[in-house]
Amino acid sequence: MRRTVIAVLFAGLAVASTLGFWAPPPAVRAQAPADVYINVTGGPGGKKLNIAIPEFSVVAGADSQGAAKQIPTVAGNDLTLSGAFSVVAGSDRVPANNPDALRQVWTNFAAAGAHVGAYGLLTFRADRAEAEVRLYDLTTPDFRSIASRKFEAAVQSPAPGFDWRRRLAHKIADDIVLQFTGEAGVADTKLSFVVGPSGAKEIVVADYDGFGTSPVTRNGSINLSPVWSPDARSIAFTSFMNGYPDLFRLFPFEPRRPVQTLASFHGINSSPSWSPDGRMLALTLSKDGNPEIYVLTVQTGALQRLTRHASIDTEPTWSPTGQQIAFVSDRAGAPKIFVMDRDGSNVRQVTTGGFHTQPRWSPKADTIVYTQREGTHNLYAITPGGTNARPLTSGQGDNQGATWAPDGRHIAFQSNRSGRWQVYMMLLDGGDTTQVTSGAAEATSPSWSPRLP
Amino acid sequence: MLTRAAQVSMMSLLLAGLMITGCAKRPATTAAQTAAPAPTPSSAAPAPTPSPSSGAAAAPGGAAATSAQTPRPSPREFMAVAALKEVYFDFDKYDIRPADAKTLDANATWLKSNADNLVLIEGHCDERGTNEYNLALGERRAKATMNYLVSQGIQANRITIISYGEERPVCNEKTEACWAKNRRANFLVKPR
Repeated sequence: MRRTVIAVLFAGLAVASTLGFWAPPPAVRAQAPADVYINVTGGPGGKKLNIAIPEFSVVAGADSQGAAKQIPTVAGNDLTLSGAFSVVAGSDRVPANNPDALRQVWTNFAAAGAHVGAYGLLTFRADRAEAEVRLYDLTTPDFRSIASRKFEAAVQSPAPGFDWRRRLAHKIADDIVLQFTGEAGVADTKLSFVVGPSGAKEIVVADYDGFGTSPVTRNGSINLSPVWSPDARSIAFTSFMNGYPDLFRLFPFEPRRPVQTLASFHGINSSPSWSPDGRMLALTLSKDGNPEIYVLTVQTGALQRLTRHASIDTEPTWSPTGQQIAFVSDRAGAPKIFVMDRDGSNVRQVTTGGFHTQPRWSPKADTIVYTQREGTHNLYAITPGGTNARPLTSGQGDNQGATWAPDGRHIAFQSNRSGRWQVYMMLLDGGDTTQVTSGAAEATSPSWSPRLP
Repeated sequence: MLTRAAQVSMMSLLLAGLMITGCAKRPATTAAQTAAPAPTPSSAAPAPTPSPSSGAAAAPGGAAATSAQTPRPSPREFMAVAALKEVYFDFDKYDIRPADAKTLDANATWLKSNADNLVLIEGHCDERGTNEYNLALGERRAKATMNYLVSQGIQANRITIISYGEERPVCNEKTEACWAKNRRANFLVKPR
């Protein structure tokens, strides 16, 4: 699949990303779409676009927090993690307002194999910073300017869990990914996960790349299974904070807002999965005798029971259309993955011949990832129709607890391959595995947020 | 085109500014502020700074699904008693094994002669398997244990069950001997 950068550029415009838009400079706009061809698929065997991101230049105001250096570093890491780019190393600095020097820098990067250059100009005004990012095609003799685009952020002292420089870098990276792949990147997202040993687990939130970890529960109890809501403003989770396993919801970005109780029936209240519209939660309750799957309407508290079976039914996961729910049941012996219609009807078995839990339906609808027990555990993918089962991990410790990035291309999961549980991410084909967390405490049960509002 | 583009740009910047300065509007909530001291590090933290939620839960909000149910006694009020012995389970199973049935018979006898005691049955799993499934499995083990005691004449309304899944192991080595100790149901009591 070959396409022109310019064509992709206008496709990006049509998407009308909430980040703003790239404006082709007049010189380029005057030209007919030309001969710049980029083929980006990412992953093992997929061709990656080599991009150079030299240190940004400060054109006005004072860069008191070192943003000119940090933003390209963070954005470069984001582009690497996107799976579509390879960042070309180089220490060249670009003096502001010096076209000849810029040309020399691009000449050096092109010689090192770079296809694209991204160069940013930073302006500081009072409490705001503006970044103008320009993209250059380094495969053309004149290093033609492809596009330029402005981003803005309020400058604040970095606080635990928030750093405007990182957020700005993530937005820049996500938009560069959009320009070259047709879909925005997933850098401007968060991960929630559980830290601590058995019996003392708390929930934290970090940037998707593991930086800026900040606690969101601190109740000294056992907190499990955080799951981001589709609006990325709240997290459902199971907690023993009131003695029993009840279901709650917390609001990580609203410091004064109390935890909301979602379900506190006799028995277990667990395994939350948000409906795609965020109005409902599928969950597991045992109030009627044994673990069954229900749907809770969040606003009204209304409950609808979906499963009626003497075996364990748990771990619901919604299809992105909201029309189906996959779940785990041991009705066929060892636990397997099943799918049912939204009202509980039309149950069909998806996996066979193993011990399968933790189904997670892809936001792209065509894949369910699950965990197979095989001595340890490994992650597998399968179609919702039960075909094309394939391993995503193998031979490296215990791997479980998958969570999809909003692009349906990346998966985060927990693995003990380094000796203790940590969060990792990889591409859907199992490639580009990267360790995300590296703290002293064990990190488990990741949930990848939607793109932040 | 230019005008529309400019509008989109302005909107985007406004949206970004809103997010970063933390003016996000939130829906009204009926949940009460918690009474427990909240270890919130900074009350003026800008969004999106995650903030720790306080220990004790808030009162149920409008969405809380609890319906009418008898209140649950706090698990913290229950104490272990030497006379009540634990029972154990095979991997991924929740049926009562014959030898464990004898243990439960003895437990039932004790409970009959100590009729002023309520009992809490905890269901547990080993670390193998995944934690949400194990929460359900532990629930089934506690429930199977409860059902056996009820079949032996213990009133169901004396019994409360709780599953801890794999979250409270008594043994932390990765051996079958250790896992076997963790796949258990155990008993705690408190006076009525």
